[in-house]
Amino acid sequence: MHVTYSPEGIYLGAIGLWLDPRRSQPAAWLSHAHFDHARGSHGTAIGTPDTLEIYALRAGEAAVAHTRMQPLPYGESIECNGARLTSLPAAHILGAAQLLVEHGNERLVYTGDIKLRPPLCGAITRVEPCHHLIMECTFGLPIFHFLSKEEATARIVRFARECFDEGDTPAFLGYALGRGQEIAHVLASHGIATTIHGAISRYFPWYQRAGYGFGDWRPYQRDEAAVTGDTPRAMVTVPSFRATLQASTRRIRIAYVSGWASMDNARARTGAEELIPYSDHGGFHELLDLVQQSGVTKVDAVHGFTDTFARILAQRGVDAHAPSAFGERGSDEEAAD
Amino acid sequence: MDLFAATCERLAATSSRNSKIRILADYLRPLADDDLTRAVRFFSGSPLAATDHRQLSVGHSTLREAVMQVTGWDKDIIRVCHRTVGDTGETLAALLHGFARGEDLSLAAAEEHYLALQRTRKTAHKVAHLVECFTRYRPSTLKYFIKVITRGMRIGLQEKMVVDAVASATGADTDAVRAANHRAGNLAQVALAARAGTLESISARLFHPMDFMLARPLDSLFDLGDPALWAIEDKYDGIRAQLHLQAGEIRIYTRGLEDATPSYPDLSGKLWLGLPDCILDGELMAWKDGRALHFNVLQQRLARKRPSARLITDIPVVFMAYDLLYLRDDMVLHLPLEARRAALEAITQQKGYPLLLSPRHEARSLDDVEQLFRDARDRGNEGLVLKRRGSPYEMGKRSGTWYKLKRPLATLDVVITAAEQGHGKRATVLSDYTFAVREGDRFLNVGKAYSGLTDAEIRELTRLLRALVTERFSRVLLVKPEIVLEVAFDGIQKSPRHKSGYAMRFPRIVRWRRDKTATDIDTLDRVREIYEHSLGGMKPGAAAPEE
Ligand SMILES: [Zn+2]
Repeated sequence: MHVTYSPEGIYLGAIGLWLDPRRSQPAAWLSHAHFDHARGSHGTAIGTPDTLEIYALRAGEAAVAHTRMQPLPYGESIECNGARLTSLPAAHILGAAQLLVEHGNERLVYTGDIKLRPPLCGAITRVEPCHHLIMECTFGLPIFHFLSKEEATARIVRFARECFDEGDTPAFLGYALGRGQEIAHVLASHGIATTIHGAISRYFPWYQRAGYGFGDWRPYQRDEAAVTGDTPRAMVTVPSFRATLQASTRRIRIAYVSGWASMDNARARTGAEELIPYSDHGGFHELLDLVQQSGVTKVDAVHGFTDTFARILAQRGVDAHAPSAFGERGSDEEAAD
Repeated sequence: MDLFAATCERLAATSSRNSKIRILADYLRPLADDDLTRAVRFFSGSPLAATDHRQLSVGHSTLREAVMQVTGWDKDIIRVCHRTVGDTGETLAALLHGFARGEDLSLAAAEEHYLALQRTRKTAHKVAHLVECFTRYRPSTLKYFIKVITRGMRIGLQEKMVVDAVASATGADTDAVRAANHRAGNLAQVALAARAGTLESISARLFHPMDFMLARPLDSLFDLGDPALWAIEDKYDGIRAQLHLQAGEIRIYTRGLEDATPSYPDLSGKLWLGLPDCILDGELMAWKDGRALHFNVLQQRLARKRPSARLITDIPVVFMAYDLLYLRDDMVLHLPLEARRAALEAITQQKGYPLLLSPRHEARSLDDVEQLFRDARDRGNEGLVLKRRGSPYEMGKRSGTWYKLKRPLATLDVVITAAEQGHGKRATVLSDYTFAVREGDRFLNVGKAYSGLTDAEIRELTRLLRALVTERFSRVLLVKPEIVLEVAFDGIQKSPRHKSGYAMRFPRIVRWRRDKTATDIDTLDRVREIYEHSLGGMKPGAAAPEE
């Protein structure tokens, strides 16, 4: 199937379907609810129920007032202009999905954002055999190796307890949707009370519906220091909140939980002392494994270190390309969301 | 080495100076003597003993070649990785993930490897040896094994912290350890002596650079109190340097504690046999026909590591001495200013050497000081230095016993953190610089200026800056903070635009300070001070809000 790459996004012309388009389109598949994937006002939006609901919340009522929402839960299929679309679980954030497109004899999979390791919250990736893979490679360099969920859990809990032992307040920086809830859930399941930034807690209902608890938490209050006689609490907040933390009079110690935290330069960028390299994207070897397990012969690399990753795949005999409209990018913090 | 690496990681994750020293001391305390010396050495980024002047001769390309052989990744892939990570040791260790057998690496074994690398001459053999290392040990350890080779730990560690940690780990007195380190210039040796309680027996050794005493800027003459308490000298527009003299031979060390002797054959070319062994503090100056030449002239000498005979004749250099640190067989730092001066006068009376004594002035009143300042400026000097009578020489300190009174318009020494291409005929060079002051280990931007340097200097800077690039954002190149500029400005204002919270008004580059390193630059405190001073009588809090 012919795939068109343009600044507007990825387009499957034969069936009139856009994949995570960057602008409003008549019909769009939304792989997950991160801003760089789910945006605009589309005629029809297809995605998992969680993705569509969170997308609607983030885009705002006005933006989606005329959008026909077409929920496609994991494992279910629909027909679309002569092709069969199937939603497959992707470990990334809650509701993230891959799209399998079967058209004639060809099987194409669009990964959206994905990792192979089991996530702290959300579904486990199902790798589907296919001919043509459109995949992300945010961390497509051989320097990126991430912690497993067990290792990340241990590091998160250990840092929080170390801070408490020394009378300090631990603050975890993670993205508003995905990482934030994972950290909050891990802390809660180890009996650690939390204060949560509103940008993170607003998505709690979807995680709770999926069975993830958040224990003893309360919203972040502006003057935390004024609260006395309380149990020690770990803060979970978003990276942009760093300046506020640093201005605080409390002794706050920051941990940054991100794929970018695998590099020491993350300290200077985030002010964090503790770097916990855990991502909702795949590390380099996970991406290679994904290609291998899907038995694919043709790969289009989108998002991330596309040129380098495509070149590495090509060296291994895969027909791999990096569409120029999705050009190679450096360590752009926001784009990793 | 595994525990050493883990300690480095903890140090990197800690910003407080005291915590760093505690972590270091806790690590050093239980080490056996030989491991203590190795660890201390590795922390200062020297793989081999300080007495061993031979080089490892393992450069970035040798390290990269070995990693290529182990991993199979090609040069382009490694380059992208390096650009993303920024540090060689960190990049290569991350690439080695999954290739090593994960054996333990002791400090002794690490040193054996460094020695083996130093012994082998051929690059191919060095690469082969590195390949062996890279397939045996843990990447988390190799990260620091490589950083010791590249001599850049990048964990916000200064030698002073290691010195203090040695004191804490051995229970020795901090000042005694610092003093012994100044005498010996070999912290590994000092660490052993501190543990054995024999610090006093460490005798002074010449031919290793010692920390300079620094002068505080004096913002107002009224801060001086009674002018009669101060000895006054001109502040020269030269290069601060130490001259070590032993058995007639000399060495010259600059502020960066580098050996600059080869650059000054006019000083080192002959034996200074008529003079006693000593260490002089002073200034290198271009000097002809009984007077100083402009600093820009001296700059031409600085540009050359090994000047031609012609250049030496055209721009001869002398040493203008103003203090004495060591005489005959001992340090004299603790002697009062007058005693050091008297001994210095005796030394400089010897004729026939490119050595001058900085004249000393007296002032009875603040009016006298002002007159002296104007005279100094008329002589082409920067201003005045005021030294408290009776004060000792405090190495590495900027204490209140030395003040400098510079030009009325303040300048700051800043470091370049980013560079941009110019326009028009300067489109091919980096001519716009963003610069920062220091706050602890961090560098915070305070301004940006179009270069006021000469075309030749800009070309040279462009070449140097390109080698320092860490990240690229379209036209803007972020660079390692290494190149120091002196920048003049009309004032300082609060500004949300820079991380420092301050911005210079109309900054202009006065000159490139080749003689200074990033550790010598002005601090955020100094910027704050100038800002608050500029508010006149107002308290800082009373200033109009500018956010
Ligand atoms: Zn995403």
